[in-house]
Amino acid sequence: MKVAYWPGCVSRGFTPELHGSMAAVAPLLDIELVELDRACCTGAGVIAEHNQELADTLNARTFALAQQVQGAELMMNICSTCQGAQGECQERLDANSEYREAINGNLAAEGLSYEKGLTNKNLLWLLVEEIGLESLKQKVKRPLTNLKVGPFYGCYIVRPRDRLGIDDEHPRDAYLHWVIEALGGTVIDYAGVHKCCGFPIVTMNKQASLRQAGRHLSDAQDAEADCLVVPCPLCHLNLDLQQPGAAKAVGRDDLAMPVLHLPQLLGLALGLEPKQLGMSKHVVKPTSVIDWSSAVVGAPAAA
Amino acid sequence: MAEYTLKLRRYDPQSGEAPYYEEYRVDLEPHRSVLEAILKVKAEQDGSVGIRCSCRAAICGSCGVRINGRPGLACHTHLDKAAQTGVNADGSTILVEPMGNMPVIKDLIVDMDAVHWKKIQRVTPWLINKQPVPEREYVVPHENMVDVTQSMACIQCGACVSDCLSMEVDPEFVGPAASAKAYRFVGDPRDAEQYERLKDLAEDPHGIYDCTHCFTCIDACPKGVAPMNQIMRLRRIASNDHHIVDRNNGERHERTIVGLIRDYGLLHEAEMLPRSYGGYSWFAKFHPAAGAELLDSLPSITRAIARGKVNIKQAALGHRIPKADLTAVQGIYEKVEGKARRYELNLYISGYEDEEEAPAAAEAPAAVAAGGDAMPSAPGPDPQQPTSASESESA
Amino acid sequence: MPAHDVLIIGAGLAGQRAALAAADAGASVAIISKVHPVRSHSVAAAGGINAALNPEDSWESHAFDTVKGSDYLGDQDAIEIMCREAPDEILWLEHAGVTFHRNGTGHLGTRAFGGASQARTYYVADITGQAILHVLYERLMMHGERISRYEEWFTTTLLQDDAGACVGCVARDIRSGALEVFDAKSVILASGGAGQAFKPTTNALICTGDGIAQAYRIGAPLMDMEMIQYHPTTLAENGFLITEGARGEGAHLYNAQGERFMEKYAPNKLELASRDVVSRAEQTEIDEGRGFPDGTIALDITKVPRKRTLEALREIVNIGKDFAGVDITREPIHIKPGMHYIMGGVKTDSDGQTPIPGLYAAGEVACVSVHGGNRLGANSLLDTLIFGRRSGEHAAGRARAVAMPRSPVSALSDAQGEIDAILDRQSGGRRISEIKTELGETMNRYVAVYRDADGLATALEIVQRLKQEAPHAAIDDHGTVFNQDVLAAIELGYMLDVAEAIVVAAQERRESRGAQFRTDYPERNDEDWLHHITVSHDGDGPQLGTAPVTITKWQPQARTY
Repeated sequence: MKVAYWPGCVSRGFTPELHGSMAAVAPLLDIELVELDRACCTGAGVIAEHNQELADTLNARTFALAQQVQGAELMMNICSTCQGAQGECQERLDANSEYREAINGNLAAEGLSYEKGLTNKNLLWLLVEEIGLESLKQKVKRPLTNLKVGPFYGCYIVRPRDRLGIDDEHPRDAYLHWVIEALGGTVIDYAGVHKCCGFPIVTMNKQASLRQAGRHLSDAQDAEADCLVVPCPLCHLNLDLQQPGAAKAVGRDDLAMPVLHLPQLLGLALGLEPKQLGMSKHVVKPTSVIDWSSAVVGAPAAA
Repeated sequence: MAEYTLKLRRYDPQSGEAPYYEEYRVDLEPHRSVLEAILKVKAEQDGSVGIRCSCRAAICGSCGVRINGRPGLACHTHLDKAAQTGVNADGSTILVEPMGNMPVIKDLIVDMDAVHWKKIQRVTPWLINKQPVPEREYVVPHENMVDVTQSMACIQCGACVSDCLSMEVDPEFVGPAASAKAYRFVGDPRDAEQYERLKDLAEDPHGIYDCTHCFTCIDACPKGVAPMNQIMRLRRIASNDHHIVDRNNGERHERTIVGLIRDYGLLHEAEMLPRSYGGYSWFAKFHPAAGAELLDSLPSITRAIARGKVNIKQAALGHRIPKADLTAVQGIYEKVEGKARRYELNLYISGYEDEEEAPAAAEAPAAVAAGGDAMPSAPGPDPQQPTSASESESA
Repeated sequence: MPAHDVLIIGAGLAGQRAALAAADAGASVAIISKVHPVRSHSVAAAGGINAALNPEDSWESHAFDTVKGSDYLGDQDAIEIMCREAPDEILWLEHAGVTFHRNGTGHLGTRAFGGASQARTYYVADITGQAILHVLYERLMMHGERISRYEEWFTTTLLQDDAGACVGCVARDIRSGALEVFDAKSVILASGGAGQAFKPTTNALICTGDGIAQAYRIGAPLMDMEMIQYHPTTLAENGFLITEGARGEGAHLYNAQGERFMEKYAPNKLELASRDVVSRAEQTEIDEGRGFPDGTIALDITKVPRKRTLEALREIVNIGKDFAGVDITREPIHIKPGMHYIMGGVKTDSDGQTPIPGLYAAGEVACVSVHGGNRLGANSLLDTLIFGRRSGEHAAGRARAVAMPRSPVSALSDAQGEIDAILDRQSGGRRISEIKTELGETMNRYVAVYRDADGLATALEIVQRLKQEAPHAAIDDHGTVFNQDVLAAIELGYMLDVAEAIVVAAQERRESRGAQFRTDYPERNDEDWLHHITVSHDGDGPQLGTAPVTITKWQPQARTY
């Protein structure tokens, strides 16, 4: 399937391994990525904090660009924060035609216009709702047997429930659990699964920020997870890049919890090697914690 | 009628024993509330079960509890819905526990004075009249009173405080309920101390910039107060209208993100930290505060560079979107930020448009009272539907 | 031992207002509440508060509407005071910060309400009670040093000295179970109504008639106890209130045949006739077979523009959605008359004084009487604030002239003895909830919109039997921390005393007036019955008496809407 692909800022900045692994797994999932390289940052909720109209206009612009991609079935992102920040703007734009008209007025200079009703899905949702778990299972070449994975969703993709369309028919706050299992892994539940990594306050209250990250990492480690998997690079920054600080904040000197991006976990199961997926770039190297030869059984099965 | 199992967390402070869980079977119609089920248990089986309750109709705020791990009002939660998300996935067991972040007095009763009310008192929760006090009523635009009705809708139930994630790691955080209460005054044109209130909460290390932006309070609130949104409005007014540059880097962080996107179109992560601490300039990295922070982060930074995660050239120069697009983005910034008044749409007030209805003619937004609180709500088109889950964009 | 000039029992609108007024007048003040003050049932009052603030309006017009609404049983001197002082009270509230609705020019705006000749109801969406209550509590927090708050303390007894004056109370700290004697020069009862004696009721679980019974037990006369208001629009199953504000905004009532039947019963005011008229109309339609199968009538709020509903009736949008599964902006909601308010209560003058020296009462617990046989919507919020303030001021004044009393030495041990007696009850009797349910169903069956001698006699029999059973109802909780079981046992006693007084008064009034409609005496009879009925306790049981109705300007006339 063809998607208008918004890669976000951080995947092209401080978490290049995310961008690379997504590019590597897309063809294996039959996804054609048309990158929205003209679009700008979603604002991560901070532009909306500063000025709602500005955030709504910048994101309406991105939506309009996505709607211009010929043959794209929907827009896709690889970041919980993008999903949430864009979703907040889209909710306002779709709820009120007068407002939408005014915002489109701000885009008129570029000749862009947003039409209500764009479908915008995070990779996680796309896996379950567009590709389907059964289809995903069939693509698995290297089942993640014996790999104990702790899911960490990221606030922006699980709250508020109404806005994110989480209901009985779409229990999106359980999708990451399902995907881990579909890939053959074992889900490790721990207290922090749906909690906050702390990234939004890392410059305002560093201790509180890192304490959150530290707690969730510790809880997962104590529950004997081999690694975490996150669909959000901002969470990844606070959980991986800041892990040394997070460990200090909660007084743990034994913290060693690798944090994988979702496309990396997918890539492993689909037969790619850790190096291809940029896993050597992490601050907490997965390979120094997990012995891939034992945690993930064998080489990929013959095609 | 259907049979439900209530799994209640019991705690008897006089017994000297640890809390424990007890199960009770109740027969009630599925659309009845969890509170009714608990009251039935009290009435027929065990009168010692402790729970605060009064109105039964989600207006007094007494019966805040955690149901299946989620905070809310017991009287407001239907048995069938609760059982669906219940502990045993058998469709009939419902876990009820006291609210979090507050000490437990007995069973489902928590000490709200120790946490919730203490924080409410912290924000000077009474009107400080703007002088002179008029003989008759203050003249206040309709829009402003409607605007604060959202904060006024708070029934002090504590559900937001219960699960606030910032408070979990920082118990001194002023919290969502108190912040929403603060907005009730900041947004009221009759209050004389808008600046002082904002300065106080912005400079407090556990104030409005301590909110970790996790949306938990928005989901928890049974009244649509959306405390986190109120916190964001407080930040917005503090930084935009009063130019309060707080010691917690809150305003600088906001200005940094907003500025970086204007100048690069994308987040220039390497600049995010120095400018949040040192102010929005390339020289921020030489500011003492930024310097200290950079030093502190050295272990992470060096490791990141060594692993090849961070590209030095990109860290120095940042990455941008194409020039034409950046120009367009900057044009948008100029247009929107150049407006005299911020244009905001509050869905709590305007509601959601119906699919079939065409929008009616706009009402002109009423002029907002002077005083630095520029917050007109967008003109709302006619007949709106109330918020409901089925209306949201489930992409 | 706490000792204050003014002790207020109950922290709803009347109690909190009294506290603020007494403190402003320089008295030392304590306020006791069995729940946190913002949980008081005033919080559920929705529609609004009346005042003739509009220059085109007049307090005389407001007063006449109130007198007529009371079916001429209200005391007109007190009514005049209430209506004359109303406008200033609204402005006081507005200055204190209440977020009243504004019209297009930014001034206070009004909505229409039942029984009013002009729109004079000031409001905050449909959370007026909540808005005012929270603002009053803000003021209590602001004056924390001047007003001592005892939150979650349950009053068990009123104390009297040898001369019979009220000198304080005994209250239990619910959190620890400890009892404390509170000495006071004046005591103001502000503990609300007794709706829980009826099932269903719009009232909260805490409305158990505590103050009415406590005053009654120390000899204060109760007045107009037969006047029980059935609100026209309550949800059938659980009794929840759908505010009159909906009708004020333009909603209509329809029977199962689609007729807007109020045209028959009140051709001028239609849905905005006084509540007893509308309730009787609905009940008649239901009794004569024109209601829906579940015994209800349809309230059609789709008549109101949706945007307006969202802005001004949001609470009932939520109630409809959460408790009845109905989107009121799209379809009618089914309602029926439900027990809502008690016009009667502890007899007071217009300063809140009862005949017992040192004992005051204000709010729903009191009967001044400003509501007479029927209360107009949006007059209750006014009543609580006007007479709350007046009681507070008067009690503060009294304190300057009186010495701090001493409570009887045995007060504490007596109270403890009563509680111990409850704890010591043997099991085997009926459970408290069973007795309470039977009481509520009985009252709702025989002492509702339409009454007759046989039904009332049956009700009295049952109530008296339940009074025998109640002292044997054993409890489960024998702890001292937050023992809600013991409180339930005490509250049951209060409800039974109040119920008995209600039935006895209803039996006595062989006439139909206001909310009391006797099918065996269907006409209003001013000649024989233009007076209040009082009920006093003399150690044996309820003793009936009378009190005159004060008429100043408005002679009784035929009452039509």
